[in-house]
Amino acid sequence: MVHIADIFEWLAARPRSSTKGPLDADEPPPLKSPVIAQVAARGLSPQVRPGPGGSRSNSPAFRSSSPFRAGSPFRSSSPFARSPNRASTPSGIVPVTERDFSHLLRPEIFHQLSPLSIPPPFRNTTKQPTPETPIAELLAHGQFRAAAIASVQALTSSPVSATIAAAHPPVDPSDYARVFSLFYIRLACLCLIDSMPLAAQEAKALEDLNQAYYLDPITGAHLMPWELRLLAIRLQTIGFGDPRRAIMSYYDMAREVHLQIGKAAKAHDNTELELWKRRLVELGIKVGGALIEMEDLAGAAAHMATLRDTAQDGKLATAKALLWLHLGDVDAASRCVRDGKGGPVGEKVVLALVDMANGHFEDGLKKWTELKAELEENGIQDEMVGVNLAVCLLYLGRMQEGRQILEGLIDDGQSSRTLLFNLSTMYELCTDRAKALKARLADRVSNLEPTSHGWEKTNADFKL
Amino acid sequence: MSHERYPSMDPVKEPHSVSLKVLRLSRPSLVAQHTLAAPSELQSTTGAAPDDLVPASLAYRSTAGTNPDPFLLTPILNLPPSFGSAYVGETFSCTLCANQDIPPEPPATAQTPARGQSQKKSIRDVKIEAEMKTPGSASVQKLLLGPHGDDGTPAATTEATGAAADAAGAGGVDLEPGQTLQKIVNFDLKEEGNHVLAVTVSYYEATETSGRTRTFRKLYQFVCKGSLIVRTKVGPLPYNTATTRKVPKLAEDDENKQLRQKRRWIMEAQLENCSEDAMQLERVVLNLETGLRYRDANWIVSESPRPVLHPGEVEQVCFVVEEDGKGSAVVEDSDGRVVFGVLGIGWRTEMGNRGFLSTGKLGARNTR
Repeated sequence: MVHIADIFEWLAARPRSSTKGPLDADEPPPLKSPVIAQVAARGLSPQVRPGPGGSRSNSPAFRSSSPFRAGSPFRSSSPFARSPNRASTPSGIVPVTERDFSHLLRPEIFHQLSPLSIPPPFRNTTKQPTPETPIAELLAHGQFRAAAIASVQALTSSPVSATIAAAHPPVDPSDYARVFSLFYIRLACLCLIDSMPLAAQEAKALEDLNQAYYLDPITGAHLMPWELRLLAIRLQTIGFGDPRRAIMSYYDMAREVHLQIGKAAKAHDNTELELWKRRLVELGIKVGGALIEMEDLAGAAAHMATLRDTAQDGKLATAKALLWLHLGDVDAASRCVRDGKGGPVGEKVVLALVDMANGHFEDGLKKWTELKAELEENGIQDEMVGVNLAVCLLYLGRMQEGRQILEGLIDDGQSSRTLLFNLSTMYELCTDRAKALKARLADRVSNLEPTSHGWEKTNADFKL
Repeated sequence: MSHERYPSMDPVKEPHSVSLKVLRLSRPSLVAQHTLAAPSELQSTTGAAPDDLVPASLAYRSTAGTNPDPFLLTPILNLPPSFGSAYVGETFSCTLCANQDIPPEPPATAQTPARGQSQKKSIRDVKIEAEMKTPGSASVQKLLLGPHGDDGTPAATTEATGAAADAAGAGGVDLEPGQTLQKIVNFDLKEEGNHVLAVTVSYYEATETSGRTRTFRKLYQFVCKGSLIVRTKVGPLPYNTATTRKVPKLAEDDENKQLRQKRRWIMEAQLENCSEDAMQLERVVLNLETGLRYRDANWIVSESPRPVLHPGEVEQVCFVVEEDGKGSAVVEDSDGRVVFGVLGIGWRTEMGNRGFLSTGKLGARNTR
């Protein structure tokens, strides 16, 4: 016999308790009790070490035991057992200064970059840097392809001439700081020139990021710079085709950060303390991004809900709202930013997006127009507001006006991928001879001054 | 759109002076960014603080702090990069652009003495018409041409709105070189299978000495797929025993009789996402025939968040349907089957794109 009460009981849906995990900064070093982090996410189980085949657990929640707790049940199987602060110093280990990193300098690791993906106006201009330009200068001027090439010349000791060798001196295989710095520049620049697949292949050469070879035997500190570890995690996730890897690794790093926070607090080093706290917050946000990339949107939403807004600058609220919009829940998105939670501008941005998500393009247009006027009045430039206003106009059958706005942004020196893509799309809608318009656009963009915002574009950016 | 054909309808062999371009207007998407920390080399030269971000790794430039970096998603919108998949229950939106596209005159040379001036064409009275051919019907449906962007405006399917489309399209537009006539069509996708959007462009091409009306038609074919599989099951619930026990058998008045005889059923439905995108269920409601009422026993009652269905996932919903006891008879078909009504399911996908389906008539076998 079925009772309504029974049905309700049966329906009492998956409880989502407020949770704390290794990503919460204010967590006291949990030596006394295990911290349970419950993320009501489908198949999200960072504690399961996915082998190359990927272990697919479907447990609705996972328990993340603190790495700091002695006798953690997960210790034996946890990858953390091999991470820095757990690593015991094997006897006879090579001192850091004598370690040879020449396996990261093999030329076969690195791919050739073809200039054919670059539109001609960018190739044939005096704005192209000379091969002797120092890497720091290349980076400062957004010459990321040239910096990617130069870093490999230094890494593989393969400069084509003596002057270039002087500009990018070959690296000493035992100078791990410079090896890693150049490696990071290489991978980061590949990402910036839209060659992430190549970067993902090259990042495989770093192999296991937690191996003892990368650790200082005395302090247990990781020899790689923080930014390289973060990037390598994401790239290896792509390279090995295993999305869980990133989440697991971020959690590992979060545990390490807890240790550093503890150390800094003990030493009363506020600069260090703030740095590590900031890194912890960033890791939490990265986990959200990784879940979105593996298309576990519900899991991402549940995870983001557990993050605490320490900065109170509206960024986290906006991030949550954007995730809900991506998922399609406009009501939840509005809730995230209301009552000033998203900051004055953040709230307006999200509400304009909500209008567009609801198909109310007229209302959206009004909001974007007002916001654009308001920002311009205060001398604030925001490329996004202009681009979204133009997109809104296209959905209202007013593409010509949208096109003018986008061309105006180019005149103002803006050149984001999205701006170029949307303008190129409008060109395609305007004429059968869009190729000429796009080529002219490429020419205009190539005349912009190279800045740290990047300069060189690819054919794909102009849909060429 | 997967396919495009150009049946010749124009006896003139010259290229057309007007081009037609289309873009499916799915919702614009939020652009993802992967922020990168500045390399230490840069920190030493520019004085960037540790973990400062490389500006070029951000999706766009802002001094207003609107970018939620280092988060993956940003508020800047990308136009749809491709046609994507079309699903039953969604509204298909598409923009149609008729462009004055006469190739620019080549500069006059000795071989081709300035003929440009005398043959200068002007393009008048440009009109766009659109029709949709669905798999289930032999005839085509004329579509209402917007701008009427909002989802609230229904797509034209009836004759009345078809006439409105005629009226709207009646006034053609003159186009100067490089100008565009932009229209938007909306169409509610209700069937699986091949759909063909047929777009006809007509215009008057005038030179200084003569003129002619020209027409061309383009066909855009796409496949509409199922998005949601709905399985339902109805089972009888026992009479409300509590009520019957309280009422002494001999003192039955009319009201109690009605109470006792109130029939109840439990209706369960499994909703399976068979599309390739995650969807969030927005509302699942029963539209019942007279004499019946229902109680929802789903996420609203349990105050749970709206369920998200990833591709291949199933959500089970449940309703208690009962006679409302107001005296009006429930609808029964010829087999004595009680007809409930229909189940309506509304969902949202990426960036709020809407879908809505309703089932056929559901019902329960007569258990009396």
